[in-house]
Amino acid sequence: MSALGDAVWALLGVTALALWARSRRGASEVAPPAQVVRRLATGPVLRLALVAGVMFAGWHLFAR
Amino acid sequence: MALALAASAAYALDVVTAVPIVAMAIAAAVLWPVRPVPVPPAGGGPGQSRRSDGHGHPYRAWVALVAIIAAWELVEYLARGSRGAHPTLSSMLDAVDRIYALKAALFAAWIWLCVWVVRSGRPAPPGAAAGGGAAAGVAER
Repeated sequence: MSALGDAVWALLGVTALALWARSRRGASEVAPPAQVVRRLATGPVLRLALVAGVMFAGWHLFAR
Repeated sequence: MALALAASAAYALDVVTAVPIVAMAIAAAVLWPVRPVPVPPAGGGPGQSRRSDGHGHPYRAWVALVAIIAAWELVEYLARGSRGAHPTLSSMLDAVDRIYALKAALFAAWIWLCVWVVRSGRPAPPGAAAGGGAAAGVAER
């Protein structure tokens, strides 16, 4: 086990949760995840990367 | 016999995974506009007012976090030593996948993500309320 690696992953996870919580506050300067995904899904190029990323994630996780 | 069963199960899992992937590609091709208009940063709905004055970008924090995660994933992937000593997102999820119920839950979450992404890329119906958030911005343009 790597204490440093585990600690960094845990810190990144907590940061993501903190950002999510902050985005739920009114007048927050952080966009909620739904808005981020909506922005990605409506970008001419970004939406292709988003779909490809989701597809790759599924294949990588379940079909290899 | 056991080898044949394992190969058959692996093939079945490949098919079960490929079906949503193909379905997502078809759904996106059919439901998404050919020329999409990116959603503006400001939400407009209750509790969704975002700064768009150039001083604070609403996506900046998320972009930074994803960049840091990608960088750390690369560092761990390229580090010398066992995967246990240098876990990556894949290796951590592989550990989750060893438990059947968790793997099923993870698969369901991935299906939900596919649906969410496809729905997010659809233009909002005409006359959608402003409270619908940024999706309404697609229809307004």
